[in-house]
Amino acid sequence: MIRVALPHHLRELAGVGPEVSLEIGPAVTQRTVLDALEARYPMLAGTIRDHTTLQRRPFLRFFACGTDYSLAGPDEPLPAAVAAGREPFMVIGAIAGG
Amino acid sequence: MPQSPTDKNDRPPAQPLSLNEISRYSRHLLIPEIGVGGQTRLKGSSVLIVGAGGLGSPAAMYLAAAGTGRIGIADADVVDLTNLQRQLLHDTSDVGRQKVDSAAATLRAINPEIIIETHPVRLTSRNTAEILKRYDVVIDGSDNFPTRYLLNDAAFFLGKPLIYGSVFRFEGQISLFHPKSGGPCYRCLFPEPPPPGLVPGCSEGGVLGVLPGVIGTLQALEAVKFITGTGTSLAGRMLVFDGLGMSFRELALTPDPACPLCGAAPSVHDLIDYDDFCGLSPGGLQGGGRDSITVESLKERIDRGEKPFILDVREPAEFDICNLGGMLVPQRDLPLRVSGLNRTAEIVVVCKMGERSARAAEFLRSAGFTNVKNLAGGIDAWRERIDPTLPVY
Repeated sequence: MIRVALPHHLRELAGVGPEVSLEIGPAVTQRTVLDALEARYPMLAGTIRDHTTLQRRPFLRFFACGTDYSLAGPDEPLPAAVAAGREPFMVIGAIAGG
Repeated sequence: MPQSPTDKNDRPPAQPLSLNEISRYSRHLLIPEIGVGGQTRLKGSSVLIVGAGGLGSPAAMYLAAAGTGRIGIADADVVDLTNLQRQLLHDTSDVGRQKVDSAAATLRAINPEIIIETHPVRLTSRNTAEILKRYDVVIDGSDNFPTRYLLNDAAFFLGKPLIYGSVFRFEGQISLFHPKSGGPCYRCLFPEPPPPGLVPGCSEGGVLGVLPGVIGTLQALEAVKFITGTGTSLAGRMLVFDGLGMSFRELALTPDPACPLCGAAPSVHDLIDYDDFCGLSPGGLQGGGRDSITVESLKERIDRGEKPFILDVREPAEFDICNLGGMLVPQRDLPLRVSGLNRTAEIVVVCKMGERSARAAEFLRSAGFTNVKNLAGGIDAWRERIDPTLPVY
């Protein structure tokens, strides 16, 4: 199972807690994780990636095992710890509260 | 990983300590990493704290106690009762008082040896550089995206370290943006803000009072480290705090070569209109968006006996605090419940401040609804201009 951590506004949109678990195939990449996430929670389609270009929204970033994967290619493999479910794939959002 | 701080010329000049100050700061002087050298640098330093709120309170109080020689506080607001759950610079007797005045009084009581300067103004593209350039370090304790981008850009142009912190509910983020030291800037991280109304602020979504205490305190710590040249800075790293899980995660950040501000081919060469950049210019969502209705117009119609259908898109917890008697459908649930609404009837969409409802109204129009109006200013405007008995939240 892959774990995905979501920012508050997406948790509320999907009606889920801080993390969701997803079953995906052997290739664990940004694309396969986000495709599975959007298939399970259709209301998230277009919120993390642009509907048309599939580019990451500029107010969100992707992290795995403490490393920034936001600028990595969508088909680049994610770390083994993420593939094994030991670490979450993190979607971090901009917040402005002070 | 960038170390703290890389350029000794960035450090403030040392100022000798008086006998009284040696006693006051003795617990610092005993720490090898601070000592007399670090304390004299603190005395010679100046820090601007933007926002005398949840983050600014602990940051300012600890920096004052630590002996920061000159502290500037910038905030245009007055103290509100809703601030007191977390903004420890102010107490109940300060409600209605200018925040910078209340903050200055608290800080002077903590440490009369230091200089406190107040800037009771809203920071804009016109006044920010003049204020920032008088300080060695800038702490971002603001509560909105336009100010965060403004501070990032101004600090970059002036070469000042910007200690970033932000909070929401149980979560906080903190980092140090100082591209001069090799790390990224805020725009590298988030090149554009979220659309207005998409990500609620603390005034709409709430924040646990203790949370900004944690993050603001860490901002003060980061400032002390930068000034004294101690430890490893957060440049190139962001700490994400989860108060519910009680955990910190350290995330590595890298400069974006395509950053419009600090990248290889920058397109931002001067301060811009940050309200416009963040979609908050007049006529935008904060102004009600298109086809908006004022609270006065809605009240007149209700007084005439009309019964417009009011759709409240806030969260249930907000609806429970106060409402205008409308139907509650939280914005996030709207796509699932849109089929239950009349597509041709007039719908007045309501939220707290008018931004979420503007987005909801746009969504309904795109879904084929033909007579949708947004209540400009939302419940807050209704309370301010129609019914002051509604509770403030």
